[in-house]
Amino acid sequence: MAKSPKSPIVDRDLIRELTALLNETGLSEIEIEQDGQRVRVARNAASTPAAPRAAPAPMPASGAAASPPDLAKHPGVVVSPMVGTAYAAPEPGAKPFIEIGSKVKAGDTLLVVEAMKTMNQIPAPRAGSVIQILFEDGQPVEFGEPLVIIE
Amino acid sequence: MFDKILIANRGEIALRVLRACKELGIPTVAVHSTADADAMHVRFADESVCIGPPAAKDSYLNIPSILSACEITGADAVHPGYGFLSENARFAEILADHGVLFIGPKAEHIRLMGDKIEAKRTARKLGIPVVPGSEGGVSSDAEAAKIAADIGYPVLIKAASGGGGRGMQVVRDAAGLSAALSSARSESKAAFGDDTVYLEKYLEKPRHIEIQVLGDGNGKAIHLGERDCSLQRRHQKVWEEGPSPALNTAARNAIGETVAKAMRDIGYLGVGTVEFLYEDGKFYFIEMNTRIQVEHPVTEMITDIDLIFEQIRAAAGNQFTLQQSDIKFDGHAIECRINAENPVSFRPSPGKILHYHPPGGLGVRIDSAVYQGYSIPPFYDSLVGKLIVHGKTRQECLMRLRRALDEVVVDGIETTLPLFRALVRESDIIDGNYHIHWLEQFLARGGMEA
Repeated sequence: MAKSPKSPIVDRDLIRELTALLNETGLSEIEIEQDGQRVRVARNAASTPAAPRAAPAPMPASGAAASPPDLAKHPGVVVSPMVGTAYAAPEPGAKPFIEIGSKVKAGDTLLVVEAMKTMNQIPAPRAGSVIQILFEDGQPVEFGEPLVIIE
Repeated sequence: MFDKILIANRGEIALRVLRACKELGIPTVAVHSTADADAMHVRFADESVCIGPPAAKDSYLNIPSILSACEITGADAVHPGYGFLSENARFAEILADHGVLFIGPKAEHIRLMGDKIEAKRTARKLGIPVVPGSEGGVSSDAEAAKIAADIGYPVLIKAASGGGGRGMQVVRDAAGLSAALSSARSESKAAFGDDTVYLEKYLEKPRHIEIQVLGDGNGKAIHLGERDCSLQRRHQKVWEEGPSPALNTAARNAIGETVAKAMRDIGYLGVGTVEFLYEDGKFYFIEMNTRIQVEHPVTEMITDIDLIFEQIRAAAGNQFTLQQSDIKFDGHAIECRINAENPVSFRPSPGKILHYHPPGGLGVRIDSAVYQGYSIPPFYDSLVGKLIVHGKTRQECLMRLRRALDEVVVDGIETTLPLFRALVRESDIIDGNYHIHWLEQFLARGGMEA
């Protein structure tokens, strides 16, 4: 078996090129194999929720399913005070009350919970930034269910 | 029958109803307070909704919250269990307004029997024997004195809005009447918001015998025999058995038919229990409970009829097929209500159950929602579970009960199991020779210190 050629030097140019390609195309990952070398460049998805492109999409299943107990104990969590259906906007088709990154003052409406045809506005208990939205528009919610996290 | 039943209750009865629903193939919704998130019935239900914080008034008694839970789950029927909202006519009506069926009697009958004076009037009109007493509330001491003289001392002052054994005072002679009336009125006002009181003849050593009924709401009704619930502490039943050691077949059929006919006459729907005091061969109506009762398993064990099935079928309409001739009594059953209380002082003992071993074997049934590691919350009643035992004869039943009581383990909290182990060995109990004051007299003379 021939010894594989040593390649101690990392091809920086190649990596820069791939990174530029990544940004240009909006892909999250590029991997190429050349001459026995394999290079993979991936976008780090974990850090900032600064996804401007995404609609005020809540971090639904993944966010909530990941660690529900942790979310419920988060100091900035706002939980539902009642049983009902959670709506993100004042009316169907209207702009949602909040999105990720929204800055709120104490008392600002975060969402409405509808119970038996009455709409109940859920206020922010304190001022801060909305860092997570844990419900989907039209989702049934129970007493104590985590809805929003404000920091 | 129903698309989905929401069980508006907790603990062992919620589990009981859930079992029946599953056997009938009906999807279930459990509602619970935050304190009951780990409850057994919540785990077994198809869906669950947290409806509030621990306090009953904010959760199990919270009508808007329960209604919302029906809405978001699509439940089309609610089973209220016993206690909580089970005899709340307004709840039944609100559900109906929202297109949800209340599995229970008609609201008018809940209301009728909830007022103890009206209930007695109705019973008298329907031909059910009642305890001699005032026709209605007593409006003056003079009126009370005359009625008491007519019916003869001792007399009992009862709150019209009371029930479940609360708000009652005994008066032994005319001299004590005035003071007792004013104290009864103020206690009643404080406890029930209504100071209306009425008088009844006080029976010295009666038995408490109740008749289980079932009606289809359209004029058909049957009885399922009696339960003897004389062993009570502070008017709370502790041990129930059926058939009653005091009744023979003829007596049973006679009172059963009287009660069943009354239920036909009013068009009663669902299950109910008509309660009597029984002394010297005579029955005296005290009240009717328009719901499933805690001690319903006693009847189930001797008739082999699932009362929750029948409740659900009756509520669904057109499903009631039982006839009186279908009801047969076989053997004997005894139920012991095991509470999380000290068996001598009866101080509540909530806490974690470290070891739990329920007894088993032929004719042994445990209706309980506890499990090893479960913590009994301090916010609700202290019932750990009900042990119900069946035997071909009363003797066999007692032997089986003794064995089952010796076998059951509930460790980590105090329970009233030692009380039952003592009772099952008492000669009066073995002979069936007891009345509604027996247990308190047994405790007062140190029966548990032995």
